[in-house]
Amino acid sequence: MDTRDALVTAADVTRTFPLDHSAVTALDHVSLAVKQGEFLAISGPSGSGKSTLLNLIGCIDKPTGGRILIDGVDTSQLSPSRTSALRREKIGFVFQTFNLIPVFTAAENVEFPLLVQGIGSAERRKRVAEALENVGLSSRANHRPDLLSGGERQRVAVARAIVHRPEIVLADEPTANLDTHNATQLIDLMRELNRSLGLTFIFSTHDQRLLEHTPRIVRLTDGRIASDEFSSSKPGVPNDSFSVVGVD
Amino acid sequence: MGKFLLLAFRNVFRNRRRTAMTLLMVGGGVAALLLGGGYFRFMSQGLRESTIRNGLGHLQIFTAEHFKRDEIHVLDTGIENWRRVASVANAAPHVRGIAPRIEFYGMVSNGQKSSVYMGSAVDPAAESGLGFNPNVVEGTNFTSNSKADVQALVGTGLAKSMNVKVGDGLTLLAVTSDGALNGVDVQVTGIVRTGIADLDARYMRITLDSAQRLLESDRVTNLVVGLDSTANTDAAYDALLPRLRGLGQEMTMKKWLDLATYYKQVRGMFDGIFLFMGVIVFFMVLMASVNTLLMAMFERTREIGTMLAMGTPRAWIIGLFMAEATVLGVLGAALGVTAGNLLGMALNASGLHLPPPPGYTTPIAFRVLHIPGIMIGSSVMVVVSLAMASILPAVRASRLQIVEALSHV
Repeated sequence: MDTRDALVTAADVTRTFPLDHSAVTALDHVSLAVKQGEFLAISGPSGSGKSTLLNLIGCIDKPTGGRILIDGVDTSQLSPSRTSALRREKIGFVFQTFNLIPVFTAAENVEFPLLVQGIGSAERRKRVAEALENVGLSSRANHRPDLLSGGERQRVAVARAIVHRPEIVLADEPTANLDTHNATQLIDLMRELNRSLGLTFIFSTHDQRLLEHTPRIVRLTDGRIASDEFSSSKPGVPNDSFSVVGVD
Repeated sequence: MGKFLLLAFRNVFRNRRRTAMTLLMVGGGVAALLLGGGYFRFMSQGLRESTIRNGLGHLQIFTAEHFKRDEIHVLDTGIENWRRVASVANAAPHVRGIAPRIEFYGMVSNGQKSSVYMGSAVDPAAESGLGFNPNVVEGTNFTSNSKADVQALVGTGLAKSMNVKVGDGLTLLAVTSDGALNGVDVQVTGIVRTGIADLDARYMRITLDSAQRLLESDRVTNLVVGLDSTANTDAAYDALLPRLRGLGQEMTMKKWLDLATYYKQVRGMFDGIFLFMGVIVFFMVLMASVNTLLMAMFERTREIGTMLAMGTPRAWIIGLFMAEATVLGVLGAALGVTAGNLLGMALNASGLHLPPPPGYTTPIAFRVLHIPGIMIGSSVMVVVSLAMASILPAVRASRLQIVEALSHV
């Protein structure tokens, strides 16, 4: 596996979960490299390890074996506070159930990652406006999540994920709770942000509509990579993408 | 920081019914402390002033000998040149007047029955000048136009025991300063109530002149000093003490608080009850709030997981929960202070009276004083209590495993 210039590298990653007196292996010696600007889908049946892999890349979980490198930094060697800082600065999350803070307006939700980063109020206002503009929700900035549709909520979640200009956006089943219309809009939005801002998108999905727009699809089965497919006909594939060749 | 506090404030009102219940509990606790503390303060202030006005005065001057040994004969430790001492004391700042007193005891007889009495001899004009007027329930106080040689005011219990009424005669017996037995016939001009049943059963008051004749002495037991205000007691004490030197006898002085044993006991009891109330309210608020905040934490597990996933420092999560608890505490305290004061005003306006407590003979007015110190103290206490209650949920929330929290249903 060529990991030169890789933004994200999973090297021989294993994740097991204890269950009674045995252990369940969610990921089994997975290796993967993702370059800056990729638009990558992790697909597979339920229980195949999609979410586990995303959690490990997002540094919200630790591998049982192997290493996850973000920008060349071995995340397993980081202290909890450094890990937290890495997530804060380099990663944006989009969740299946949106996970917006219900007492905040759309704009305040988008502002939250900037607050955590300690960015000043004038800069925050500017970036929030930009992010909401990017997702087409400027007019809904002062609405609370319960007054927004599912599609709008997910777009707010996307705005929140990109507002602090992360290098990677991780999305766990982002279209699972959306109807076809909203799902298509979200897919188009993510692809547009990928192209225009050069953001790296890594997402898990079952959704064929989303997969049709995805230039690279990693398929997992029983915690192993079954295939890693590239489609050069789909826009957004970096010229020098990586292939999975097994464990280093 | 502003947005962070805004989040805490809005979170408080996410579950309005639960917040309302918590505020009612916190506010109720504060209001209870205000009412209880305000009532106890009224009682102790009332007792303090009545203790002083009933004749204790603010300061009392004695000879130093009075506290060094027991009297062998009556008044042998008394103040000899008391008029001069009174004159010197009267010139001190804050002093409103001086009342000489003789405390004595002996036997009283109605011709058929005898009993022990506790005598208090006073100068009626000086007493009246200081507002030390006995509570005469029948007859009159000492009058200058009385035809009686020796006037006497008798406690209600003693009057009943001796079966006398106003106008009847009694004979007082006492040991003189020489150790001889002497007697004097008195006429009951009034029946008085001190408010304390045990004292009413033995109380006998005659004039200073009569007592000096009975005891065959020119001395007095002590000089009672009345001040312009109870608050000036310490200042007057400090000003008076040097003036009492070089007056023949070595003199000493006691503040009203040193002599008001009963007041101190009652005050101690009130303080104890109030402290107990405070402890109960503190733990009531603490326990109920821990439960409320833990429920809030469980309900928001996924949200906390999301915040942690976005890189929110765990200390922020602790701070958020503590801020929410503090907001709840401040709102609860404000509610409690408002409700406590309004309830206090309503109770004061109602003219409510409580039955006399043990040892008392008169009903006690139910009044609540509005004490800023208690308002501040009880408010701080509930805020601290809530902040403490938030520690466990806050730490638990901050220690959530992000992946587990995100999959929480």
